[in-house]
Amino acid sequence: MKRSFVVKDIMKGNFTPKKGVRVEDEKQTLEDKFERAAKARLGGSIAYVSKKRVAWADENKDK
Amino acid sequence: MDKKLEETSDENSVREDGALVRQLIADMEQMTWDRVGEHVLGNVRRNLQFKDNGKSLAALRFHELGEGDSAIVVAAGPSVRRQNPARILRERSYLGAVISTDSGIAHCLRNGLVPHLVVSLDPHPTRIVRWFGDPRLREQDLEEDDYYRRQDLDPIFADEVGANREIIMLMRKHAAQMSIALSTSTSLAVVERVIDAGMQIYWWNPMLDDPEKPGSHTRELMNMNGFPALNAGGNVGSAAWMIADAVMGKRRIALTGMDFGYYGDTPLSSTQYYREALDLVGEERVGELFSRIYNPHVGGWFLSDPAYQWYRQCFLEMAAEADCETYNCTEGGILFGTGVVFCPLTNFLDRIMSKSIDTVGT
Repeated sequence: MKRSFVVKDIMKGNFTPKKGVRVEDEKQTLEDKFERAAKARLGGSIAYVSKKRVAWADENKDK
Repeated sequence: MDKKLEETSDENSVREDGALVRQLIADMEQMTWDRVGEHVLGNVRRNLQFKDNGKSLAALRFHELGEGDSAIVVAAGPSVRRQNPARILRERSYLGAVISTDSGIAHCLRNGLVPHLVVSLDPHPTRIVRWFGDPRLREQDLEEDDYYRRQDLDPIFADEVGANREIIMLMRKHAAQMSIALSTSTSLAVVERVIDAGMQIYWWNPMLDDPEKPGSHTRELMNMNGFPALNAGGNVGSAAWMIADAVMGKRRIALTGMDFGYYGDTPLSSTQYYREALDLVGEERVGELFSRIYNPHVGGWFLSDPAYQWYRQCFLEMAAEADCETYNCTEGGILFGTGVVFCPLTNFLDRIMSKSIDTVGT
């Protein structure tokens, strides 16, 4: 499989190249897509947000 | 503190993980968004039309449900069959707030206990309405989805049609006595059922991300409908506990039926996400998605999947931040750890109903 991040790996110097280096995202394989779809069915009922309790909307309207 | 009401820790717990469990627990936040994100956003937008059928959850801050500063959450984990918390609460004439998950309605009403408040959250389009009794249920629906009859639930669900009929009858009799904290994420079927049944609705948005951050989905929902956003901790039982603590201001909250797992001898095929687990890894490896966890407080082994273990992690984090004391009176399952007192329901009630209550936790 062609690895699209080779250029990025080589160019780790402490300089800014004159020409911008474009790094392509690794393309999702069919297997990746299947795995993500299958995993999605195992998730919880709703999100969890760390360190939060309630966000009140409008204190006046709330009453 | 009473020895039987000591705060618990993980020290004496033992766990045996399947090979894939920890990786999936780490991915659970993203997996949950992939599973429900689109449903939630779609449901919230659609439920805007029902905004005036009820009040904001914020109104519960000024409306006292149940006497005193205690509350009991009734969820529908496998322990309710063995412990029957509703019967205990009725026999002990408990007068504090009783908050049931939607899945706990049948257990409560069949045992003569009418909860003050029901909580519903899950956006699933067809399954959740069954907890309220679904007048539109067809034989064909049952053939297509074995979710209820396959699981280790209350035995009445083995006869799905009969159970549905019984819940409809019980709801007809008691729905008007119960309020509901209804998430805007719930399905059209649930919202219409709740309105038809005559339950007093208190609306809230599920917190999907940090509402203070730019581009927040949560803030968008709040601006759209004007309702507060609640951190539900991943599931309806945790949401019920959060409402008792952060909205109703209850200071001693007991949990029942919050197993976050199954008894150790439960076949994997009787667990909630078994079909999904099969689809992910196949029959040969399905065992790798489960953990066996030893609960030292009851001296027994429990089976738990990644979603339940994520719920447990989230809950323990939330309990650490809470204003209330939390008592897990499930008498089974995997929800024990710092910040949670593990004890039988009768011990909690003894404390609540005696004058020595003021010394708890000091």
